[in-house]
Amino acid sequence: MSIEVANLVFNGTFLALLGAAAAAFGGGLGSSLGVGVAGEAAAGVIAEDPKKFGQTLVLQALPGTQGIYGLLIAFIIMLKVGILGGAGIAELTIPQGLYILAASLPICVVGAVSGLSQGRTAAAGIMMIAKRPEEIAKAMVYPAMVETYAVLALLISFLMVNGVAI
Amino acid sequence: MAIVRMKKLAAIGHESVKHDLMAELMRLGVVELNAQDEKLTDEEWSSLVSRDGNEVAVSRLDGEISKADLALETIERYGTAKKPLIRTRRAVAAAEFDEALKKKSQIVTSVDEVIALNNELNELRSAENRVQTNKLSLMPWSGYDVPLEMQGTRFAEVMIGVVPSVAEVDKLKAEVSEKSAESVVDLIGSDAEQHYLSILCMKKDTEEIMDLLKQYGFNRVTFKGVEGTASENIAKCDKELSEIAEKRAAVEEKIRNAESEKGNIEFFHDSLIIERDQEKVKARMLTTKRAFYVDGWVIAQKEELVKKAFEKYECYYEITEPEKGEETPVLLHNAAVLSPYEAITRLYALPDSRTVDATPFFGFFYMMFFGMMLADIAYGAMISIATFVILKSFRLEGMMKQMFQMFCWCGLATMFWGAMFGGFFGDLLTVIADTFFGVEFTITPLWINPLEEPMTLLIFCFILGAIHLALGMGLNAYLSIKDGRPFDAFCDVGLWYIFLAGLVLWLGGLIGGIFSAGITQIGLYMTVIGAVGIILTGGRHKKGIGKITGGLGSLYGVTSYLSDVLSYSRLLALGLASAVIASVVNTMGSLAGGGILGVFVMAIAFVIGHSYNIAINALGSFVHSCRLQYVEFFGKFYESGGEAFDPFNEKTKYVQILREDN
Repeated sequence: MSIEVANLVFNGTFLALLGAAAAAFGGGLGSSLGVGVAGEAAAGVIAEDPKKFGQTLVLQALPGTQGIYGLLIAFIIMLKVGILGGAGIAELTIPQGLYILAASLPICVVGAVSGLSQGRTAAAGIMMIAKRPEEIAKAMVYPAMVETYAVLALLISFLMVNGVAI
Repeated sequence: MAIVRMKKLAAIGHESVKHDLMAELMRLGVVELNAQDEKLTDEEWSSLVSRDGNEVAVSRLDGEISKADLALETIERYGTAKKPLIRTRRAVAAAEFDEALKKKSQIVTSVDEVIALNNELNELRSAENRVQTNKLSLMPWSGYDVPLEMQGTRFAEVMIGVVPSVAEVDKLKAEVSEKSAESVVDLIGSDAEQHYLSILCMKKDTEEIMDLLKQYGFNRVTFKGVEGTASENIAKCDKELSEIAEKRAAVEEKIRNAESEKGNIEFFHDSLIIERDQEKVKARMLTTKRAFYVDGWVIAQKEELVKKAFEKYECYYEITEPEKGEETPVLLHNAAVLSPYEAITRLYALPDSRTVDATPFFGFFYMMFFGMMLADIAYGAMISIATFVILKSFRLEGMMKQMFQMFCWCGLATMFWGAMFGGFFGDLLTVIADTFFGVEFTITPLWINPLEEPMTLLIFCFILGAIHLALGMGLNAYLSIKDGRPFDAFCDVGLWYIFLAGLVLWLGGLIGGIFSAGITQIGLYMTVIGAVGIILTGGRHKKGIGKITGGLGSLYGVTSYLSDVLSYSRLLALGLASAVIASVVNTMGSLAGGGILGVFVMAIAFVIGHSYNIAINALGSFVHSCRLQYVEFFGKFYESGGEAFDPFNEKTKYVQILREDN
């Protein structure tokens, strides 16, 4: 009985969906923290000079990409499992499910961490353009340096998910 | 091309021609005049000359400019004319400009009129505030029908006041009537903070009752200089307010009438700026009793124009080449196809005048990188068309124009890569064909579908990156050679070329098996030669033991080349991101299936989803394309730190005066 229940819960499809959830979770977590931190800084700058709204908004948007990367991997996993698209849910073996779960880990973890630190960097950039609005390009490059690692994690997660044969 | 060549300029002339000469130089706009602070601290100079300049005139003109500014601002605020999306300068022929300024006194009058009207408005506004505050303080008492000036009769005391809203009014009433039966407490009204009370009591009891009331936090309220009941006064306030509103409308109407003068005031404003700058520049001149001295920089190509001007005013002048290694102001000039990317260079920092402008070298890469990261036919077309329309309908100048031009080109590159990868709003056509018509349809990519063959594209990205980096290294070598250090160019770039190319051939053959054994062998030799060369020469600028460790250290720099190349994987990753998000949007749109409802859901998902995707990914493509230039490419050779060429020209705000000679 208990084995049946266990099989019901820990089957391959479930593990793959767990991976999709982890990707969306990690990326979304990092981005929401990061965009939040940047937004707080932006609001402070706007209090002084409302004309900078556009510029600060651009910077605030930068840490938002981790969430999108997470979504992207989750989406690809869902396509692969067949929960989206016409084919219907595929029955995955437990190893297959575990592979996909493992593939989701880079963007899950790196997305969460880099989202927050990119948010901090963006917030610092927002503080910078409060004083020197003409230097916005530089303020945008610093967060982009952080984002590199989210992009790399995205790439690895993508290649891994793509590589798992079903 | 690239960094415009500058020549040094110095001139001495007679005081009497100074003004006309400066006006002429300003029209030419090809000369930068230096500040003379350094010479004034030099005793040899300061014993002969003193600083010219007329601060009084400058500040008088500044005052007039700010008046004109205020007038324009007022007209803009109350005028009917729509604010343009982007503020641009009008192009105006010199003749028209001069013609308009003949009516200067009339323009000055209308400026003064508008300012007077603005002041009147401000007064009306503060009057309105005052009345409004009065009205608000009276409002709670509108139910109190005793005249407010009434303080009591011979025997009775009449008062009004407030207690905090936490006080219990019923209890207060009971206690008061307990104390003296003749006294009456009435609740006039309450709001979130206070209860408004009126109290009627015998004069003899006043003190006692006041003591009681004080325990409830009572505060007596009196209205000074107010007669009649509260509601009468409120009506009076309302009447005053409507009168003020009428007056305001009348004044605003008058301001709108002045709108026809706006163009002339703008001319006037800009003529003041020209005049002010001509006065201001005098602070950059040195003067004796009858002569003046200026020096600065002139664009080498425009030398003749400046010579002519100096000769016309009989000045003594010298135009010389800058000394070797001397810094000059930096002005970038590139062919029309490449000039848009100057904006990217400028956003980083201008190059040192003795080095090279990176713009012509990375422009093409910038466009291609942007295109690969967005890679969608429809997105690219939207960007190109939107920027093209803006460029055609607004008279943009400077950096803004360059940015829009650049995005227009980047849009074309996006379309190109979209076609290569088969993206049109992601997989919109496939989804629509499947959902609504039940047929299978895919756009065949001209090259590959990155979702299916990511590895091929990844390797392509690395190759593209390697070319980009090699170009950067090549520029480094060029700069070393130009600087007279060909050996440095060989050691720092040539050996690395050999080493890295060898490494690619050797490892490619050994691990990837893509090259024949012979080439792999050559690759191995090149790697070894390169590595040995780098170890031997890497520490050549160091002393002692540093010569050896320096060489090893610089060979270790191979890791940075590795990470530089890997960094270009973002081209693939971000390209995938835009494509996959687009297909997420399309899939969401197709969830309701076919039929009318399906079309409706699809339309909503399409509009919201794709606008979001285009916004976020165009931003990402812009930023990451910049990063690849700034970090990977510029890191190899670029030296920033040039001072921008700041010509003495007409820095007008509203009009650009077109002259025949330039």
